[in-house]
Amino acid sequence: MTLTREDIAKYPFLADAAEEVRRVNLEIQNLDNPELESIIKRAANRIREALENNPPRVSYRKRQEDIEIPSFPVAIIMAASSGSNYIKRRYALGEAIRAYNLLIEEEREKILEVAKAFNWRIRRVKDIIGNRRFDFALSFIDYLRNTKPFHEEKFKLVNKPLIKGDVYLTKREAARLLQEEVRKRIEDKLNMEIRLKLPDRLLNQIENLKRKYAGYKEKKILEEAPKEMIYEAFPPCIRQLLSAAKSGQHISHLGRFTLTSFLLNIGMKIQDIVDIFRSSSDFNERLTRYQIEHIAGNRGSGTKYIPPSCETLKTHGLCPDFKACGNVKHPLASYRRRMRTFKKETKDNISEHE
Amino acid sequence: MNNTLFIHDRFAEFYKENASIIKPPSKISQREFGFFTFKKDIVIRHKGFLNVKDLRNYVKQIVPSHAYYSAAYYEMPEENMERKGWLGADLYFDIDADHIPTKCRKIHDTWKCKKCGFQGRGIAPAECPICSGRGFEERKWPCEICLESAKYEAIKLLDFLIDDFGFSHHEIQVSFSGHRGYHIQVESEKIRELDSSARKEIVDYITGTGLNPIYHGLQGTPRGRHVTSGPHMDEPGWRGRIARGTHEFLLSIRKEDLEDLSLKKKIIDEIISRREEILRSWEKEGPWSLIRGAGVETWKKIIGKAIESQSAIIDTVVTTDIHRLIRLPYTLHGKTGWLKTPIPAEKIEEFDPLSSAIAFKRGEATIYVEEAPEFRIGEETFGPYKNIKVELPLAAAIFLLCKDAAKVVD
Repeated sequence: MTLTREDIAKYPFLADAAEEVRRVNLEIQNLDNPELESIIKRAANRIREALENNPPRVSYRKRQEDIEIPSFPVAIIMAASSGSNYIKRRYALGEAIRAYNLLIEEEREKILEVAKAFNWRIRRVKDIIGNRRFDFALSFIDYLRNTKPFHEEKFKLVNKPLIKGDVYLTKREAARLLQEEVRKRIEDKLNMEIRLKLPDRLLNQIENLKRKYAGYKEKKILEEAPKEMIYEAFPPCIRQLLSAAKSGQHISHLGRFTLTSFLLNIGMKIQDIVDIFRSSSDFNERLTRYQIEHIAGNRGSGTKYIPPSCETLKTHGLCPDFKACGNVKHPLASYRRRMRTFKKETKDNISEHE
Repeated sequence: MNNTLFIHDRFAEFYKENASIIKPPSKISQREFGFFTFKKDIVIRHKGFLNVKDLRNYVKQIVPSHAYYSAAYYEMPEENMERKGWLGADLYFDIDADHIPTKCRKIHDTWKCKKCGFQGRGIAPAECPICSGRGFEERKWPCEICLESAKYEAIKLLDFLIDDFGFSHHEIQVSFSGHRGYHIQVESEKIRELDSSARKEIVDYITGTGLNPIYHGLQGTPRGRHVTSGPHMDEPGWRGRIARGTHEFLLSIRKEDLEDLSLKKKIIDEIISRREEILRSWEKEGPWSLIRGAGVETWKKIIGKAIESQSAIIDTVVTTDIHRLIRLPYTLHGKTGWLKTPIPAEKIEEFDPLSSAIAFKRGEATIYVEEAPEFRIGEETFGPYKNIKVELPLAAAIFLLCKDAAKVVD
C-alpha cells in the first residue's frame, strides 16, 4: 500500500501503532524538548475537541504532519490512562468521525486502500442497480460486523442490495462503515492495559480533563431503575406476554425469558413472578423458581439478564405493534418513557381537580 | 408388551446393525452431543467424543430416542455452558411444517384435553370447550402436503443462500429432519464466528422482516401520492423477489384479497378492471405507475403480500441461537422411527422423504390402531384406520407406535 505522510496524518490509526508508541514513549519522559511540548499539547487538544464538540469531532490540521502523526498515539495513551469509559468512548468516536469527514472528500481508490488496510473483503465496482450507482461491493460478513450498532432502517441488511455474498455500497456508505471500524479499533486500543509511568505533567492534564468532563456523565449511566411499578406503562409486548402467562396460554421460551427478565428489571419480586406462571398447564413451582433465579443472576454464571431489544423481539414475532413505542429500541426504555408520560398525566389530572 | 419397550428394542436392533451409517459432524472433538433416552425424562447433555467410533459405540450402547450434536464448536465440549469456551458455530436453518399454515393441518392434526379427554382437530384451542382445561396432548401428522410445503420453503431458502449470500453448494448441507421438515446447514470458515446479532440480520433478510420497499426501487413523488417506478422481475435479490411476488399476487387477484388489505374501493376497482393491462405491463416498466390513486403506501400494502410469498418460513430461534443442538444425521427420530437424511442440495426437488428416510426395511408387526389418517411409506399406502387390529410392515407399525396412535399386540 502506498501511504504518504499526509495519508498517515489523516488516518494515523493505519500506521504501525506499536512502533509509533514505542518511539514516542521513549521520549515522552523528556519533556524539555520543545518539539515534544507541541505534540503533547496537540494530543490533549485532540481529546478536548472530542469532549467539547457535539457530536464529538477532532479537527485535522493540514501540513503539520510532524505533530498530527505522533500526537495520535500520545492522545491514545492519555485517554487510556484516564480510566474513564466516557472519555475513552467519546474520544474514539471523535477520531472516527474525523476519519469519516476526511474519507468522504477522498477519491474512491483511497477509500478502497483504507478499507483493505483493515482486511475488508471489498471490491471497487461501477454497477448500476435500479437507477442508483454503486461504488463498492463488500462481503456481507464485513458489512454485518460494522453495522451492528446502526439502527437506521436503511442500513438493515434486508434493505441493501445483496448479490452473491456482496453488499453494494455507495462511497458515502463505505465511509460510514469505515468510521465504525475506526471507532472499534480505537476503543480496543484504549481498553488495553497501559503499564507506563507517565510524567506528572501529563497526569495532571488527564486529571483536569476528567474533572471537567467525566464526572456527572458516568453517574447518569448508573442511574437506577425506578422502584415503583406501573402496569399502565408496560409496553405492548410485555402486556401481551403477561396476559398470556396469566391465562395459562402457551408462551415460547424466548417469550417467557422476555417477560421474566423485564419484570425482574423493573423490580418485581421472584415470588410474584412465580405466581404469574401458576396457571400454566405444565406449571412446576421448583423449576419455574429455578429458572427465574437464573435470569435474576442468583444462579449459574451470576449474570443478571435484561430483556432482548425491540429489534430481536421483532425478529421472533414477539412485538405486536411496530409503531406503538415510537423510536424506542428497548422494552425497558419504552417502559421508562411511558411511565414519565403516565405520571405527568396523572399529575395533570390531579391538579385539574384541585 | 408396552409400546416404549417395543420401540426401544427395534431401535436397538437397528443401531446394532447400522450404527456405521451415523454421519459425524466435522471437528467431532469440538462438538457437544446430547441424547434423549427411552427412560422417561432422561436427557444426557454435555457429552463429548474424540472420534466417530466412540460416538457410534455410545449410540449402540444407550439406544437414544433422539440424538443431537451442537452446531457450535467448543474448546471443552464436556464442561458446563459457562466454561465450554465457544469457538464458533455453523449457520443453521430449521424449516418445520409446524410453522407453515397448511390447510391440511385442520384435517390430520389432533388434540386431546389432558383433563377431560375431549378431542378436536387442527391446532389446540387456548382452553378446552368442555372443561376449560388448558393442557392438551397434540398429535401432529407429517402428511405429504405438509412435507411438500416444507420442501418448498427449503428451496426458497436455498435460493437466498446461493444467489444472495453467495454460498457454494459444497458449503451447504441439506437434510430431511426425520419428521416434518428440513435442516439446512452452512459450514464455512467465514461465517463460523458470526455472533447472534449478525445471524439475526441474516434471519431478517430471509424472512423479509423490516424490509422497506423504498430501498428496493419503489419510488414515488415527494409526498408519496403517486408511484413513479418500481423494481423489475429479472433483477437480483429482494428487488426481483418484490416484482415477482407482486406479479404472482396480481395474477390471481380476487376482489376479496384486495379488500383484506383495506385498500380504497376506487383503487380496488381500478386494479380489477385493468388486470390485463397490469399483467402486460411487466414486459416493460411494470404496473407501478399505472394505477390511478395508488401511492407509495398502497403499493407497500400489496408488496407486503409479495414479501410474504417470497420469504422463506424458518424457525427464527434456531438460527440466532449459537449454542443450538441439532439432530445427528442418519439417526432415528423418536417421533417417527425415520432417519434424519442428508440430501445433495441440487437433488432436493426429486427427494421423497417417505421412501429415502425409511429405516426399518424388513419384518412385520401386529398392532392395534386407535386412529390414523391415510399415510404412505415407500410405494405402499396404508389406512385410514380406526380401532382395528392390523399386521403391518415394521416401518409402518413403528411409525404409528412412535406417533402414539397404536398399541403393540402381544
